[in-house]
Amino acid sequence: MASLAATFGRGAMTNGWVDIKNADVVLIMGSNAAENHPCGFKWAIEAKKNRNAKLVSVDPRYTRTSAVSDLYAPLRPGTDIAFLNGIIRYALTTGRFHEEYVRIHTNGPYVINEKYDFKDGLFSGFDASKGEYDKAAWQYEADPKTNAYMVDMEMKHPRCVLQLMKKHVDRYTPEMVERICGTPKDQFLKVADIVTSTGNAQKAGTIMYALGWTQHSTGVQIIRAAATLQLVLGNVGRPGGGVNALRGHSNIQGATDMAGTFEILPGYLKTPAGSLATLAEYLEKGPPTTLNKQAWTSMNYWSNYPKFMVSLLKATWGAKATKENDWGYEWLPKVDGNYSWMYIFDDMYRGTSQRAGGTEPGPEGFITFGMNPVGIGPNSSKMINALAKLKWMVVGENYEIETATFWKAPKQYGGPETSQIKTEVFQLPCSGFAEKDGTFTNSARWMQWKWKAIDPPGLAKTDQEVLARILLAVRALYQKEGGANPEPVLNLDWSYTNPYAPDLGEALKEINGKALADIHDPKDPTKVIKKKGEQLDGFGQLMDDGSTMGGNWLHSGVYGSAGNLAARRNNADPLGLGMFHEWGYSWPANRRIMYNRASADANGKPWDPTRPGIVWNGEKWVGDVPDIKPDSPPGQFGAFIMNPEGVGRLYSPLLNDGPFAEHYEAIEAPVDNLLHPKVTSNPASKKFSTNKDVYGGRDQFPIVATTYRLTEHYHYWTHHTNILNQLQPGFFIEIPEELAKEKGIANGSRARVTSARGAIEGVAMVTRRLYPLNIDGKRVWHIGFPLHWGYSGDPGHIGPLANFLTPSAMDPNTWTPEFKTFLVKLEKVEGVA
Amino acid sequence: MSELRIPGATPVMGPTAIQVARDREDVVIGDEIVRHRLSSRVIHWVVAVFFFGTLLTGMPIWSPVFGWMAHLFGGLSVCRWLHAWLGVAFAAATVPMMVIWAKDMLFDKNDRKFNIAEYLRFSDKEDPNVGKYNAGQKFFFWMVLATGLVILLTGIVLWWPTYFSQTLRSISILLHDLCFIGFFAAIVGHIYLGTAAEPGTFHSMTRGTVTRPWARLHHPRWYRDVTGDRS
Amino acid sequence: MALQGLEIRRSSAALRGGGTGLRKMPTVAKYIDTSTCIGCKACEVACQEWNDLPLSKTEQTGSYQTQPTMSANYWNLIQFREVEAPEHGLSWLMRKDQCMHCDEPGCLEACPAPGAIVQYVNGIVDVDPERCIGCGLCETGCPFDVPRYAVGTNKMAKCTLCVDRVSVGLEPACIKACPTGCLQFGDKASLLQVAEHRVQQLKEGGFAQAAVYDPKGVGGTGVITILKFGDKPEWYGLPKDPTVPTTVSIWKRVIHPLGFVVMAAAIFGAIGHFMAFGPKKPKDISRETGGEV
Repeated sequence: MASLAATFGRGAMTNGWVDIKNADVVLIMGSNAAENHPCGFKWAIEAKKNRNAKLVSVDPRYTRTSAVSDLYAPLRPGTDIAFLNGIIRYALTTGRFHEEYVRIHTNGPYVINEKYDFKDGLFSGFDASKGEYDKAAWQYEADPKTNAYMVDMEMKHPRCVLQLMKKHVDRYTPEMVERICGTPKDQFLKVADIVTSTGNAQKAGTIMYALGWTQHSTGVQIIRAAATLQLVLGNVGRPGGGVNALRGHSNIQGATDMAGTFEILPGYLKTPAGSLATLAEYLEKGPPTTLNKQAWTSMNYWSNYPKFMVSLLKATWGAKATKENDWGYEWLPKVDGNYSWMYIFDDMYRGTSQRAGGTEPGPEGFITFGMNPVGIGPNSSKMINALAKLKWMVVGENYEIETATFWKAPKQYGGPETSQIKTEVFQLPCSGFAEKDGTFTNSARWMQWKWKAIDPPGLAKTDQEVLARILLAVRALYQKEGGANPEPVLNLDWSYTNPYAPDLGEALKEINGKALADIHDPKDPTKVIKKKGEQLDGFGQLMDDGSTMGGNWLHSGVYGSAGNLAARRNNADPLGLGMFHEWGYSWPANRRIMYNRASADANGKPWDPTRPGIVWNGEKWVGDVPDIKPDSPPGQFGAFIMNPEGVGRLYSPLLNDGPFAEHYEAIEAPVDNLLHPKVTSNPASKKFSTNKDVYGGRDQFPIVATTYRLTEHYHYWTHHTNILNQLQPGFFIEIPEELAKEKGIANGSRARVTSARGAIEGVAMVTRRLYPLNIDGKRVWHIGFPLHWGYSGDPGHIGPLANFLTPSAMDPNTWTPEFKTFLVKLEKVEGVA
Repeated sequence: MSELRIPGATPVMGPTAIQVARDREDVVIGDEIVRHRLSSRVIHWVVAVFFFGTLLTGMPIWSPVFGWMAHLFGGLSVCRWLHAWLGVAFAAATVPMMVIWAKDMLFDKNDRKFNIAEYLRFSDKEDPNVGKYNAGQKFFFWMVLATGLVILLTGIVLWWPTYFSQTLRSISILLHDLCFIGFFAAIVGHIYLGTAAEPGTFHSMTRGTVTRPWARLHHPRWYRDVTGDRS
Repeated sequence: MALQGLEIRRSSAALRGGGTGLRKMPTVAKYIDTSTCIGCKACEVACQEWNDLPLSKTEQTGSYQTQPTMSANYWNLIQFREVEAPEHGLSWLMRKDQCMHCDEPGCLEACPAPGAIVQYVNGIVDVDPERCIGCGLCETGCPFDVPRYAVGTNKMAKCTLCVDRVSVGLEPACIKACPTGCLQFGDKASLLQVAEHRVQQLKEGGFAQAAVYDPKGVGGTGVITILKFGDKPEWYGLPKDPTVPTTVSIWKRVIHPLGFVVMAAAIFGAIGHFMAFGPKKPKDISRETGGEV
């Protein structure tokens, strides 16, 4: 998500599930969509059946997706950037790219300052002591005359982005791709040929990816490579195009939108840092700005940031937020340091924290809802030992999950003796998704209301009721006894009809936002567009003077004067492109394809008239909800309105590990980096240094392993559900046939996989769908295993924690762990049939 | 049964033929000769009852034409269950039958002279050396055992459809049916010959005795051996 | 379950035909496109849930397949196979296995219980457990190894093509659950057209042998399956040229009539013989008259 935001301006699937049916080429890479997104995968099949689209599957394993693809190519786990850069090089050198699109819709013509450089595996500005880049070295060049961006529309300037990019990817020849990825050259060329067949106005191709890209120490840059490829091919913003991030959970997009991670507030506003004492300072530093802050032809929608922020503060603190007290900005928690999930557990394990610039104790209490840290974190042993350091933990779940029973985890995971664990665990039975109303926001950003199907069983309560009761109890304690930092607790606006169990419809209304005073039309102040108390119809009506409130500007419009639009179920599709504008509500502004201005050329005519996104009819843009000011003529604004420069970024100076994607090996690499052996792995990637954070070498652990999910199961939940256990009864290890023969492992017998962190055993699934790849003359094996099991639940369906083996190594932008590539050894388990 | 009076005959002292026939065979009592002792007859009828039970429960399964037979037992599902058990009972009952009769049923050199065509024509040109059982009867006996065995084995295969291969089951169906058809025809002949065709025979299997003329006619050598009458 | 609403075209062990033959209905069919099946098993669960089937006890033995074969409480099973085709390299074939609803069902032919297996006018082959006697002969008659004998209840069970749903205008549960649309349901004639179109597409996509599997040996099936490797149905666990087993045909078409002839011949032979020759009595009847009655 971080990389899509850094490229296009928003961190979400650009198009949508249904739109995949409009593609001519579907590249599925870093995803086993058929396995993990079987329902959405329907649209890839529709494209195949109805458009004769070519489905290309590039994956280390021959998967369920590969089984229905038109072309399959293998690659070594963790080498996706080399493969994608290889395709970009192929497109640029053969001319199979959409040059006009690159010129008008990307920063290809933009000139970069002289400090930018790439040498021996490092971009300029690297500080080896901190393992971090100084991004100031990567900025755009300003035109000395206008003080604005310097551009060369001919794209010939040696420091223009397109030329820099050509130079950067020039090393990724098909031969080099074969040497790095192990993909035979002819197979790579077939893929490159099909993918670049969309590098023109007539055709459109999409890329579907998921955790197979995200969960690498180079995860964000892999996605960057794909996003730039799509920009080069002119596939972004167009029906049938896009970079489609497939979210793994029914509502993970919704969770991200609502501040799913520590560094963002709802609507991707930035969490304030402690150094920004006032709202004014925050607004000065927070929103992205154009180069040198000059006027430019970009809409830079972030210029509305103050309206979003003030409305959020009003939604949070209600009447307590006033202009005088900075709308309660002061009461917001501030972050100084990394509060991402992996760091919290590191602090918990070590018992100290270096956040806020000093040394303080690690967390002593932990509340976890709807997740299972022991299962999902890498290096399970560290997770279990970290929890054992807590004083208390509250687990809200609908099953007794591994986290709740960490104190009785099997000995193999190396946790302390149960009698030595002082953690007090409170387990609160919570409702499942079918036991409450609410919305799901899917990958396609469609907010869809769902209705409660059944009551929660027994004493189980909905999550919102549990949270509300905790809040109200804590508040009562504060009122009675007082305490540290009382304002946020006491001032939080909690004016729900039933404060103990807030109605989620009310919550959705609050998220949407309403007028707190009469709102006047900015163009005609005599006209009142919203009366006090009325629901707002979109984020365009949000104000920065405290006259509106809204919990998440991005979702504004979902519950306007027309009611709950997420509950709409009208499947009319007048455009015939599967946009379904009256089905649910698609943020932003019910727009189905983001950046759809890029679906048209400089004059506003669609690149492909049979698949128009939006069209300029002389007065306004028609078609999908335009992702641009509806009445702004072509040429006035750029197509990527969330980016200050108004265009898609082939070169992005925002990320922590480089403006272009570069191939780095995983932290646990089976070979040296062929391109720059001295910088094998991502130099900016993050690791930890406790005694539990051990990393394996290729001598001891010569086999590459990867973890994944199965279509039959959902995460760590469904091993509590016997109808699904029946379909996939237990843990297994997929092993290539020849490797199994070498190790004497028979299909169905037991095998053991060991990494530097631990060892797990399971049934061997010997298959031809995995096979060794020839990496620059060296035969490299890879194996894999699914992660759905754990030690709690029905004794017939428990299994090892796959993440016992995975390393605590992370991407430097999102701190996502590297679950997809690590080193192991494989053995036969003797004495078991 | 003890005081059976023969109408018109002088009451004799000592046991009647019927009484003798309870435990002895091949003895002459007055005008009668004991042909089957009680145990043989009981075994025969036990076998016969199980046979008919098996037959009547099997035929409705064999063809819906005989579906009505199923009602005698409470329906086809009962038949499917009962048929198997009756079949087992039938097979079990044939074991003592074999033990009792096997010796008498051994073929000897006289049997070669048995002329089935002459026999069926009921002519007088029969071999005067036919013993207690003629070659046809012996053949029938061994046929019952052989086909009975096949029916039993194939029946077991069909009884538990899940345990055997489809090929074995297919072959079993065919053999089971073929044997049944042969069996059926043979039984018709057996009953016919034992009742209407040869009066006096049925009596031998009910009361155990035959008349001297009957014995002389059908089994001359046996008659001679038992009575010593060489006339 | 034998359904009241649907007329029966053919019934097991029926002396004469099943229905009036007057009511017409299109033959329905399931369309299975193995080239777009992702083996997600939604159909398996849907089948179990709609039909209220109890869970199976399974174990991981080194395959994605739920269990080795179908069972009496598992009527719908996706079979997974890895094959290597010379021109196409490795393929992972997934085929949904269930009753094929043959036009000339071997099970129905082999079944001895009247009405236990019926074929409705729309072609669905169904089992009526009330009439099933659990003999298992249907298993012998099936060229696709479909019917399963439930040991506990002594009944045969198999896919009913959700006749209870179909008869009220719904698609079978498996079709309803299929996420990719590789399963479709409708009247066979139009689905065959869809199938032909898809096969053409596959042929153009490089699978020259792509074909519709609708074997004529059993009169065609109510399940039409698209195979990329149409010349190799055995790669999908399908018999190449299925027919009702010869043994069943011999049994029903030769031995049965023969049986009747033999039985009649035996009875009439005996009667005729009696009239011609019998009975065989001793010539000297002097004793007879004074002897037994």
